[in-house]
Amino acid sequence: MNPGDRVRVERADRTYEGVLLPSSTEAHLVVKLEGGYNVGVDRDDAAVDVLEEGVHEIESAQDAEESGSDSDSEVEFDDDLPTISLISTGGTIASTVDYRTGAVTAQFDAEDVLRAVPDLAGRANYRGRVVTNILSENMTPEVWQDLAQAVYEEIEAGADGVVVMHGTDTMQYSASALSFMLETPVPVVFTGSQRSADRPSSDNVMNAVSAVEAAKSDCAEVLVCMHASESDDDCALHRGTRVRKNHTSRRDAFETVGAEPLGTVEYDSLDVTFHREHRERGETDLAIDPALESDVELVKFTPGMDPAFLDVAEGSAGLILEGTGLGHVHTDLIPKIEELVADGTTVVMTSQCLEGRVCDRVYDTGRDLLEAGVIEGEDTLPGTAKVKLMWALANADAVEETMQTSIAGEIQRRSTPWT
Amino acid sequence: MTEYDYEDLGLVAGLEIHQQLDTATKLFCNCPTELRDPDESTRRFTRYLHPTRSELGEIDDAALEESKVDREFEYLAYDTTCLVEEDDEPPHRLDDEALETVLEIAQLMAMSPVDQANVMRKLVVDGSNTSGFQRSTLIATDGEIETEEGPVGIEDLLLEEESAQRVEETDDGVRYSLDRLGIPLVEIGTSPDIRSPEQARDAAARIGMLLRSTGKVKRGLGTIRQDVNVSIAEGARVEIKGVQSLDDIDDIVRTEVGRQTELVEIRDELEARDAAVGDPQDVSEVFADTDSGVIGGALDGGGSVMAVPLAGFDGLVGREIAPDRRLGTEFSDHAKRHGAGGIFHTDELPAYGVTSEEVDALRDAVGATEDDAVAIVAAATDVASSSIEAVAERARTALEGVPEETRGANDDGTTRYLRPLPGAARMYPETDVPPVEPDPSEVAEPELLTAKVERYQAEYDLDAGLAEQVAYGKFMPLFEDLVADGTDPTLAATTLESTVTELRRDDVPVENLTATHFEQVLGMATAGDLPNEGIPDLLSALATDPSRSAEEAAEAAGLGSAAEDEVREAVLEVVERNEGQVEQEGMQAFSGLMGECMGALRGKADGDLVSELLREEIQKRA
Repeated sequence: MNPGDRVRVERADRTYEGVLLPSSTEAHLVVKLEGGYNVGVDRDDAAVDVLEEGVHEIESAQDAEESGSDSDSEVEFDDDLPTISLISTGGTIASTVDYRTGAVTAQFDAEDVLRAVPDLAGRANYRGRVVTNILSENMTPEVWQDLAQAVYEEIEAGADGVVVMHGTDTMQYSASALSFMLETPVPVVFTGSQRSADRPSSDNVMNAVSAVEAAKSDCAEVLVCMHASESDDDCALHRGTRVRKNHTSRRDAFETVGAEPLGTVEYDSLDVTFHREHRERGETDLAIDPALESDVELVKFTPGMDPAFLDVAEGSAGLILEGTGLGHVHTDLIPKIEELVADGTTVVMTSQCLEGRVCDRVYDTGRDLLEAGVIEGEDTLPGTAKVKLMWALANADAVEETMQTSIAGEIQRRSTPWT
Repeated sequence: MTEYDYEDLGLVAGLEIHQQLDTATKLFCNCPTELRDPDESTRRFTRYLHPTRSELGEIDDAALEESKVDREFEYLAYDTTCLVEEDDEPPHRLDDEALETVLEIAQLMAMSPVDQANVMRKLVVDGSNTSGFQRSTLIATDGEIETEEGPVGIEDLLLEEESAQRVEETDDGVRYSLDRLGIPLVEIGTSPDIRSPEQARDAAARIGMLLRSTGKVKRGLGTIRQDVNVSIAEGARVEIKGVQSLDDIDDIVRTEVGRQTELVEIRDELEARDAAVGDPQDVSEVFADTDSGVIGGALDGGGSVMAVPLAGFDGLVGREIAPDRRLGTEFSDHAKRHGAGGIFHTDELPAYGVTSEEVDALRDAVGATEDDAVAIVAAATDVASSSIEAVAERARTALEGVPEETRGANDDGTTRYLRPLPGAARMYPETDVPPVEPDPSEVAEPELLTAKVERYQAEYDLDAGLAEQVAYGKFMPLFEDLVADGTDPTLAATTLESTVTELRRDDVPVENLTATHFEQVLGMATAGDLPNEGIPDLLSALATDPSRSAEEAAEAAGLGSAAEDEVREAVLEVVERNEGQVEQEGMQAFSGLMGECMGALRGKADGDLVSELLREEIQKRA
């Protein structure tokens, strides 16, 4: 008996007939009944007859190749449309694109894209590329480098814009990484979905369509394009270094911290508008600096924290502290921090307030931290600061100065109230 | 209505009963199961839905047809709804109270619970579920209920989430209210064992009684809905949705049998005439100068008139297949699904401003003879095209007989086309909710309402009518709680049934009265702090200002047991005022004076005490 077989399961006084599913566990056989319901039957008490083998190709069911459709048919290239490169890294949104090709190394073509999200048809000529197929919590700095390289190659090959489909959990880190690694003349737009693509209400269609429109727009930055509200009305365009996932499940989980989003895509009209100053298309030449110093840690200080947590950073190239308030940690930790700095570790202070700027010149603790050699991270978000320090340690001559200068919009020079 | 020989026609019918449960929280979140007025909505948002494939890679016909219409859905949210209803938070675990109630129902219908219940997503893209699917779980199978005409099998028992309430159509789509979404709903599906309209009604009544025996089902309009599946031997399975009243079920079955019989006869006639459906074509030119408001309006708005020639259909499109519904009405239902206002056909023309010259020209334009019929749709060009295709499709089905489909019940006992029958392809697993293993051993079997009626008579000495009223009424669980707390059963029963009914007739807002109010009021009466005569006034006071406790309200209204002295004083006053009558009539005067005493005490005194004291005073004087 194998998943996909039509079976009759007898157990005590009842009989179930249906297709055996792979979701069966050691304790239960799971059978899909005629009406479509799945039911679990105690394996120990069940007598199973296989009525017909392999009535359903379970493994390839997700392929959903429609019978009669010609898989070789090609989507025609339209000279009047821009070319958008779609890069998949896995995660909720990419699962729709990947489900036919499946394999991690595979390329997918325009037709696969349109099969997954038919609403994308007619908006651009598409190139498809799979960098990896992982959940975004499994993302690593090495993948950021592969991703940056892939984006670089796609732009070099003539893409008028790039859309990166990415899981939402660590999207802000990848977007930051590409912001620092790439000089781009075209938009590089990250998008994903908060509600899985296997549900009719998924936000993937609107996010993908809006991301493609943003990738066609007059901009030359790394952006994140996700729902602006719980309605399917607008997508917000966030600068890659200022964006943060601020909710576990809502569609509008992504927010720009400390400012309005950079732009908006209105879903009805698909108009893309920018609300603040941004780099315009073609303003910069394509370049890549993908080197990273991977030996950088981020430690969040909390009351009662075991000082041994700082021992972990001993010998590290860099340490981001996520301090309290204006940028503080317990006074007792300061000697240890001083030792780290003396030992060659670059230590940068950020704030767990997230909103606002670090200022270690107001209270004694802060002054002692500065004395110990801690660098104020300005209003850089802690996660962004970690990525930036990794990049700065590998690429910048003056790390301290770099950490206090905006490289990719991560530092806002003026703190202007916006709420 | 014609009575058919149902056995001869091969009638097979089954029921699907949907009943809302009265649980404290919703099925997949901790929101209350409370209905709200759309005006109380605190937030609104809009969404679109896109159909998806099942885990077996199939796409559902019904969902596909629904999604052809691109619509924006607006949702109203309340302070009693949360992100789960908004599909902005994963569902919580299956509600325990709902599962327990469903297992009780399973037991009442002699069903076998499954070992492991798997929550499924049933694709529904009409917007009534924010997620685009309804979560539904098979809990038990293989049961049976009794009816007068023999047993009817119960195939399956499902625990589902109720859909969002449709508030109204908007310019862009439909507006829904989220208050109802997620209320636990049981669906009971019978086997196709039903063989007559009466048996269908009987089975539905029996299932309703069993459900109410749990004491945990919602009551009132819309909380129970019946779907009926009907087919005859030469017809097809038709699912009729949303029969609101039990009393309509037999009529619905009779009318559907009639409709299928007529459609079979039409098919035979069409076959004999060698009928065929032609290709739709644009006939706008025929109506260039028309006086018909509908057609002229469509053309003036830049639309088109599309026609489909129906060879051999003459006279049959206008043939009645159900009261006041013709084959043409079925065509029209399909056209409406695609946005047209309706259709015209040659069996009803000339009329509606269409002249006989135009009808002749129409026939000429599509090459139709006197034996043929022509159906037309006038609307915006794309709507007219897709609508006439739908009409042609339905006409082709008429050549084959009765189409399998889902229909909606109309108020007059007829039905209308809704959508194709949903298939198994619309089901895939809800991966956000882990499977549960129901434990039927922990479930107590509820007492049937029929048994309750008998027990209330035997144990509580209620008369048969009152016993039935209480057992079948919505206050049954409260009644049992009150009696368990020591309230006299007759007092509890008359208060909940008669007193409440009388107060409602007097326009007292009794819907404001909660279980706590009744418990407090009857508790005071039982403790001797309130004469029974004061109960209506106190309930009335509480209904008007539900925020007060019964004691506060009693004090404010001066209700409550008067001390014996006070009563004697009042009795004495009445007796003295009527001294002559007392001396003359003696005890004969009792009943008249009793009324006067009670009036003077205005609900403050216990009737027994008044009567005792009055008797004493009369005896002294007689």
